[in-house]
Amino acid sequence: MSDIIISLDKVKKVYFLDTVEVDALNDISLDIHAGDFVSIAGPSGSGKTTILNLIGCVDKPTSGTVIVHGKRTSDLNDDSLTELRHKSIGFIFQTFNLIPVLNIRENVELPLLLDSQSGSGRKADRKEWVDFLIENVGLKDRMLHKPAELSGGQRQRVAIARALVMKPAIVLADEPTANLDSATGESILRLMRHMNETFGTTFIFSTHDPDIVEEADHIIRLRDGRIVEDRRRNGTSVDFAAAPGADEPVGATGTEGGQS
Amino acid sequence: MIAARLAWANLGLHRRKSLLIGMIMGLGILILFLGNSLIDTALSGLQRMFVQGYTGDLMVTGPTEFSTTVLGETAGSEEVLPHIAQIKKYEDFLASRKDVASTLPLLSGQASFGIGEAELGSGYCFGVNVDDYRDFFPDNVTLMNGEWPAENDGPWVLLSEPTLALLNKSASSPVKPGTKIIMTALANSAGTVIREVTVKGVIKFNQSNQQLSGITLVDADTMRDLLGFASLRDGAPVLSGQEAAFVTSFDPDSLFNDLFAGSGGTAATGSASAAEAWGQGAAASSAQTSVQAEVVPAWQFLLVRVKPGASSSRLLSDLSAFSKQIDDGDRVQDWIAGAGKVARTAVTIRLAFDLLVAVVAVVVIMIMMNVLVISVNERLYEIGTLRAIGAKRRVVRNMILYETTFLALIAGAAGLLIGLVLLLVLGKVGIRAPNLFFEALFGGQVLKPMVSGGAAIRAFLWILAMGLGASWYPTIVALRIEPVVAMRGD
Repeated sequence: MSDIIISLDKVKKVYFLDTVEVDALNDISLDIHAGDFVSIAGPSGSGKTTILNLIGCVDKPTSGTVIVHGKRTSDLNDDSLTELRHKSIGFIFQTFNLIPVLNIRENVELPLLLDSQSGSGRKADRKEWVDFLIENVGLKDRMLHKPAELSGGQRQRVAIARALVMKPAIVLADEPTANLDSATGESILRLMRHMNETFGTTFIFSTHDPDIVEEADHIIRLRDGRIVEDRRRNGTSVDFAAAPGADEPVGATGTEGGQS
Repeated sequence: MIAARLAWANLGLHRRKSLLIGMIMGLGILILFLGNSLIDTALSGLQRMFVQGYTGDLMVTGPTEFSTTVLGETAGSEEVLPHIAQIKKYEDFLASRKDVASTLPLLSGQASFGIGEAELGSGYCFGVNVDDYRDFFPDNVTLMNGEWPAENDGPWVLLSEPTLALLNKSASSPVKPGTKIIMTALANSAGTVIREVTVKGVIKFNQSNQQLSGITLVDADTMRDLLGFASLRDGAPVLSGQEAAFVTSFDPDSLFNDLFAGSGGTAATGSASAAEAWGQGAAASSAQTSVQAEVVPAWQFLLVRVKPGASSSRLLSDLSAFSKQIDDGDRVQDWIAGAGKVARTAVTIRLAFDLLVAVVAVVVIMIMMNVLVISVNERLYEIGTLRAIGAKRRVVRNMILYETTFLALIAGAAGLLIGLVLLLVLGKVGIRAPNLFFEALFGGQVLKPMVSGGAAIRAFLWILAMGLGASWYPTIVALRIEPVVAMRGD
């Protein structure tokens, strides 16, 4: 059994739309193991992105505890959260979010240059590692192109390479195939799986595509801000069909089932 | 370095906005550079003209509440400027200084010129010892006709060319070297003073404006007479034993004790005035010591020239402190005060220009700020992404600051280059003074602007400060962008 790298305990997230309170997440508890290939599924508005935001330390819960890579995120200040994101988490965005003014190589290398410590490593080593990643995502011949000169699938490949360049423990991908055709989406998913297996990085991706959901080892289904299914491929699962509105501590039960 | 790299790349991506801000900055630096260079040229021309030709670097004047020009014009007063009572002390102090090159005592005032009973004109006069004057201002006076006065010559004048021309307009026979003319002035204490003087020569001031070119040089004793000071032409008063005994035992207070009995303060004031009046009538310095001590001639100004490279402001400060010790109410002032309206106008124009620039700068900063805020808002997801993937706030802050700095550098270089070309062209062509005011300000009919390094640096610093000021709010906006923005997509 692998270690738990992410843990959410009784997490609640409330947004305010003008004066109206919207429960984006309601009493969510779950554990994710290191090296897992996890999908978070559910319809729009179910809370997929909110969970990723909390795990990615770009947002804080209204209540409950989020522990990422051994650190309770609500205890960290902005600089510490930034450092945690920088060192431990890679991001793949639905809209790729590459820096338009940098070429592919520079985009991939960017996280390495963002702080003096990683930027001060040997330039040759850095270059070798960046080239290796670009080659692995199949864009060796496009290294000096700008993002605008690439297709959507190619841009997402660059984003994957960028997400991995810091050798993070976790990569979060928010609907990484949403803006791609199905064939490209599949190839991106295969690439993510390949990276997951090659580097042992934990991949967590959100999607509402049922075919892609099933590619994951660990499937978490959401509806209206609650977990309705937390299932691992080895068969252990907890049925959350009673949700929404169920008061049971779903995360705790589901996690236990998933750990067996 | 990544912040600089991103900043540079962003400038290229947002070309239109960069160009707009760059043009504002470039235009700003051009105006500042040109404006300050023109003012610097005018001021340095004025400074050169006055310091080398009329005022020296600094001057001590007799007691006066306000500053006085070298032409004897005291701001706020029609009175004749009093003499410096203890000029010897100043001369001794200045002689002990290593930063002082030379000093020159001077008298200044206005007089009318005539022949017989016919008045021919009037003008400004300097009362001088001509050899000392020529030593102090060696390059400013050229003898055009006649000869320089000798030591034992009687009362003399050296008429300037414009004054000679003025006199000859009305004279029945030409005024020329050797002609005896009548000088008349209304002195404070002596009423109307009339003196006959001989025209020794005709001079020309090499650096001058319309007002300065008409100055007449007069022998110091004649000038003292005209101003109502005691003349030392015949040396110190020769007193009989009885007179000397009377003077040395004389108590001025006793004269007015009856008049001011019962009012100690007033009596004291009255006696002091009496002593002062007696002092002016009998000799030029202290009344009670004039007969027994060395007689010191009256001078209204003591001009001071500092050595090349020495600080005139430091000497001004030290000399002012020394003057306070003497406590006669004398005034120590720089060449600007000595030059008067023209130099003060130039300095005021510079201040007004700087003030105008400051006002315009606020408007420009607002425009730049708006453009930069729009630019930041357009890069919401980019900045959010940077924050999400691990950029600390300082990276974002540096990126915005680098963008402004790069723009300031590029626009600054362009503005300075254009300004340099324009100044070189104007330096060749020259700017013709449209009227007498500008002629005085330009120090001549044509101003040939020089490239001023100081103006270039000032202009660049202004623009850099404006750029950084303008980036202050956009930086705050950028720093407020949370990494979660990146997750929302663009």
